[in-house]
Amino acid sequence: MSVPIYILKRILQALPLLFIISVMSFTMLKLAPIDPLATLRANPAISAAAIKAEEERLGLNKPPVVQYGIWLSSLLQGDLGVSTSGSSVFVLLMQRAGNTLLLGVLTIFFTWLIAVPLGVWAAVHRGRWQDKLCSMISTTGMSMPTFLMALLLLMVALATRMLPIGGLTSPDFFERDSLGQVLDMAQHLIIPVTVLTFVGLAGIQRQMRANLLDVLRAEYVRTARAKGLPENTVIYHHAVRNAINPLITLLGFEFAALLSGAALTETVLAYPGLGRLTLEAVMTKDMNLVMASIMLGGVMLIMGNLLADILLKFVDPRITLQ
Amino acid sequence: MRRRLALFCASATLVTACSSLPKQKSMAESNNLSVASPDKFPNPGPFKLVTVNTDKSMEELWQSRGDTGHRGGTFTVSTFGSGPKTFNPWAAADVESDGIGFLMFEHLVDTDAWTGKAYGRLAKSIEISADKKDYIITLRKGLQWSDGKPITADDVVFTMNTLIGRGFGNSSRRDVLSVYGKFPTTTKVDNLTVKIHTDIPFVPFLSSLSGVAIGPKHIVEPITKKPMKEFQAFWDVNCDPKSLVTSGRFKLLRYVPGQRAEFVRNEKYGMVDRTGTRLPYLDKFVYAIVPDQNTQILKFYAGELELLDIRSVKGPDAALMKQREKTGNFTMHGLGPDDGTMFIMFNLNRRKNPENGKYYVEPMKQKWFNNIYFRQAVNHALDRQRIVNNVLRGVGIPLYTPESEASPFINKDLKPYPQDLKLASELLAKGGFTKKPDGLYDADGHKVEFSLLTNSGNIIRDAVCIIIADELKKLGIKVNYQPIDFNILISKVDHAMDWEAIVMGLTGPRLEPYDGANVWKSDGRLHMFDQRKPDSTGKIPVNDARDWETKIDELFDKMATTFDEAKRHKYCNQYQAIVYEQQPFIYLYTPLLLTAIKNSVGNYKPMPLGINYTPLGSMHNLEEIYFYNTQSKGTN
Amino acid sequence: MESIVLATEIPVEIAPIRKTPWQRLWHDKVARMGLIVLILLYFCAAFADPLTPYSMFYSDADLANAPPTPVHFEDAKNEPSWPYVYQVERQFDPATFRQTYVEKTEKKFPLKLFVKGEAYKVFGIIAGDIHLFGIDDPGRIFLLGSDINGRDNFSRLFFGAQKSLTIGFLGLLVAFPIGIIYGGVAGFAGGIVDNIMMRIAEAIMSIPSFYLLIGLAAILPPGMSSSERFALITVILSMIGWAGLSRIIRGMVLSIREEEFVQAALASGMAEFTTVVKHVLPQTASFVIVAATQGVPGFILSESGLSFIGLGIQQPDASWGNMLKAALDNVNDLVNQPWLIAPGILIFITILCFNTVGDVLRDVLDPKTQGT
Repeated sequence: MSVPIYILKRILQALPLLFIISVMSFTMLKLAPIDPLATLRANPAISAAAIKAEEERLGLNKPPVVQYGIWLSSLLQGDLGVSTSGSSVFVLLMQRAGNTLLLGVLTIFFTWLIAVPLGVWAAVHRGRWQDKLCSMISTTGMSMPTFLMALLLLMVALATRMLPIGGLTSPDFFERDSLGQVLDMAQHLIIPVTVLTFVGLAGIQRQMRANLLDVLRAEYVRTARAKGLPENTVIYHHAVRNAINPLITLLGFEFAALLSGAALTETVLAYPGLGRLTLEAVMTKDMNLVMASIMLGGVMLIMGNLLADILLKFVDPRITLQ
Repeated sequence: MRRRLALFCASATLVTACSSLPKQKSMAESNNLSVASPDKFPNPGPFKLVTVNTDKSMEELWQSRGDTGHRGGTFTVSTFGSGPKTFNPWAAADVESDGIGFLMFEHLVDTDAWTGKAYGRLAKSIEISADKKDYIITLRKGLQWSDGKPITADDVVFTMNTLIGRGFGNSSRRDVLSVYGKFPTTTKVDNLTVKIHTDIPFVPFLSSLSGVAIGPKHIVEPITKKPMKEFQAFWDVNCDPKSLVTSGRFKLLRYVPGQRAEFVRNEKYGMVDRTGTRLPYLDKFVYAIVPDQNTQILKFYAGELELLDIRSVKGPDAALMKQREKTGNFTMHGLGPDDGTMFIMFNLNRRKNPENGKYYVEPMKQKWFNNIYFRQAVNHALDRQRIVNNVLRGVGIPLYTPESEASPFINKDLKPYPQDLKLASELLAKGGFTKKPDGLYDADGHKVEFSLLTNSGNIIRDAVCIIIADELKKLGIKVNYQPIDFNILISKVDHAMDWEAIVMGLTGPRLEPYDGANVWKSDGRLHMFDQRKPDSTGKIPVNDARDWETKIDELFDKMATTFDEAKRHKYCNQYQAIVYEQQPFIYLYTPLLLTAIKNSVGNYKPMPLGINYTPLGSMHNLEEIYFYNTQSKGTN
Repeated sequence: MESIVLATEIPVEIAPIRKTPWQRLWHDKVARMGLIVLILLYFCAAFADPLTPYSMFYSDADLANAPPTPVHFEDAKNEPSWPYVYQVERQFDPATFRQTYVEKTEKKFPLKLFVKGEAYKVFGIIAGDIHLFGIDDPGRIFLLGSDINGRDNFSRLFFGAQKSLTIGFLGLLVAFPIGIIYGGVAGFAGGIVDNIMMRIAEAIMSIPSFYLLIGLAAILPPGMSSSERFALITVILSMIGWAGLSRIIRGMVLSIREEEFVQAALASGMAEFTTVVKHVLPQTASFVIVAATQGVPGFILSESGLSFIGLGIQQPDASWGNMLKAALDNVNDLVNQPWLIAPGILIFITILCFNTVGDVLRDVLDPKTQGT
């Protein structure tokens, strides 16, 4: 099957999935007895009439099925709706999506940069101290709660005064030249990227190590050795290239995770990303915003898997798409 | 181990230095904290009006009262939260957006930070007619909007009659300004004068007026011709900053979503300093959005913020910050007690739920809660100082009245009292309760037990509830503490009304006690201890008010319509005395307001009566704030 | 169907003894350490009542936010003596907003072993009132200081362990059977049934798990007792995990059922269901065991994440998650109050041990490495 038709088939398959996701999310949100107007109600300065008007405006007094129908029909017309604060959901998402994407891409880049060599190193020296060291590092990373690490790093930043405390840009960002802007953002990104990379190292590193070990046992590797090829060529030229293949599927999941963001880390570090936006939206039951974020997450997952499958095909010609 | 050793040595030396100290500070000594620093900043008197003549125009400008500074610098402030929801001050329904409205739009009148009295801001003068029903407000000459057009009476009339009167945006402003349901009418007298007419004399009107932003008719009027829904999107969070036409000290330069809002000086602002320099001094004002309170404090230490305003410094942080004053090059100011209150309330509701015919509160429990001896016993069983010590690390004061100590209206005759379990037991006995070995029983032989709710995820409320449960256990009362989600809590109070006891807090009126009318009047929307439901017209009918509730209603009405200051104070004292005796809310404590400002900033003169929503916060004289050196950053 | 082979064969060579998986696990030093620590932690959690000086709810409200009680091992003459503490008192200086905790050295309170203290019931059945160590009133021994209500942090760590450690396994017990059966059925049924079941599982997996978690936690009705809430949170956490597991199980079932021995069983007339249970599922066992050890840390982290937002285990019950939240409220002062991080460190250690054991277990159970 050719690639474009395959893509089309996958998209069609995805539609029912997206539908199910949307229904599930909507039901869950509706069941949660959170009142988006609770803060208004608790404010003595807001009158009963004003609250009623807000209810009308947000359509909260219609039955849930009707509300879902309204949401769905606007979605199909390309309108993501309006958040409870009055701004367009689409604009809100777009603003934050860029930041989260940036964080995600950098995290993936650094994670792979560090984890793949570490995995190879550990596999090559299997059982010895190098292997154990890598395993320690990655296990530590997996075991650390992200928000704890973020907070501790913040305090280090404060103590050393070298890094800014959270956020993405400094207040004078727009007065700087391009190079200054890039440097400024880089400075702000150090802490969030470090936290997320450290925590995410483990998965890739261990998988790489396991894959490489599998490959090193395979017949063609023995053949290569028997042919008299130097060990280094065997490992780095043949084995690693084959071992990386299965990791590509992981890339699909990582791509999806790109936009779901790390909500807790973003909150602690005041990073203007999608994770934080969605977390706040869920807590205040901002229906349109939450639905849009979840749908976005679902779309990204599907796209990510699709991308991974296609990439795999290009990398490994044995695989056929069906 | 070394740390333990160090602590041991330190405590050993401390002990030898001070041999026997009383267990807790006495009430009098603790009340040292309630005194703000009133003599730090003496009253500079009212603003002076100066006239500036240019070839094109004549402007009447206010002259600042502080030190003379100079222009320059960027001032950064933060507040924790998720940022403003809109830049439209009339659609703002949350505190952050309101606060930004103050920054950008000037009000007709404001309240003086030293005296608490209303004075003209955009207005040159305010005259109240003899029958107290008319307010003649004259604007200053030559005032301009940021786009150069003049600010005239037309703008005021438009704002009052159309924007607020017809309920555009957040319609509760209309309700706040209405006098017994009727919205005052505003008429134009001449180009700079308006007359606002209230049907009956209403004292709180001026203080409510100080919250109204006057809008530019030439910009906003077209939007009001469209359906009301579209007003919400006007000047929303993503609007083009250039489209904002403002009259306040600053105007929006840009909004970086999720991070900060940047403002620049409004060159047309109507104030000058003594040398004739246009205010504000600051070139730029940045309002950073920080979702976490701790991160805020870290930012302040790191030099990214100039000011940690009220409610950003909590009790536990105060000691640490005080230690770092010298090295961090900043100064802390105490502004006395907060005007918010924390209390425990019992559900005094005696009605049945029309939807299912059941009582909101079990009749057995109704009896307890409505028994004044019960409430008074609980009141005296609580050790408020201990709550302050544990929960606020001592940075707060116990509270016994609905008006906080910060208010000029507090009834000074109502005395504080320490925990007295003996008195509590005696009161319970008077109320017909008997204490048996396994608990407290009422006159009908039922064991006294009830559930106490508060919002979950809040360490402070948690701790307060646990302390209360422990204290009441000593009286034999079993308290079942249950934290629940904030939104659910509000809906219980507002709608389901099937709660028994709740610990919560309310923001309080600092200057105008009538602002609490929604809570104290029997038909108020927040009359939480005995909430009555609105009927189909939206009004709340009252058929079963208790004597003292009716008395409070009368006192509030009198307070609202009596312009005589002395009489007003008397009525206010009377209502407080009733509450003190009846205890519908059993007040617990109020935290101290603390701010911290970098030493590089001049003219920062916080006063307890001069507090607004942040970002204005304690900077009632924001236009005068300046940097001693105009290299704003890096010279800590 | 055993072949009768007489045990008279003479072994030709002494082959290296094939160790069982557990022996190999024990042999690895790191895994051994991990196992020992875990067993220790679970022991402490199970017997929290007798091991700690105070119960979970005990509080001395006048001594809230206290630092660890200094334990003295030397007397006034600097000679070694039986450990003792002094009574501690809290004072407040309004000028500096400082609260200080001062020892009153008039009276010594020696450390007592096996004291009679608050009554308790281990596992709810075995009653007792002897505690491992304690101090007479009005002295207090707060080894890790006290929290905002004057409760002993040290004791509450043990009780918190009960919640945090069990939630991991309970979550497993709920999630895994569901996942395995769901995946097994789907894999075996094939066709449309398989398709639909997998789509639903994928849909659940596609919702970012954190929001799913919050959403579900927020649905919980408010009027529940703490143990009910605990149980429901466990169920919620497992809701997150089962979908992924079922997909993998299904994949494994799909491949295994093509294997020869399964075909043989079917050919010899064995019912499909029995085949699944008897032959297919055990093949997935090693994977399931490894996934289990790696799932528990996930549950523990999720619980602490939930408590961080305030939707997890509520006060006054102790869990590592909500004790950590209390610590995070004072983050600016952490340098001066390092004992507040203890719950975080315990979470970290527990997860580390599970991961380490899981790693080694996976190597050990991996059929490809057996025999080397």
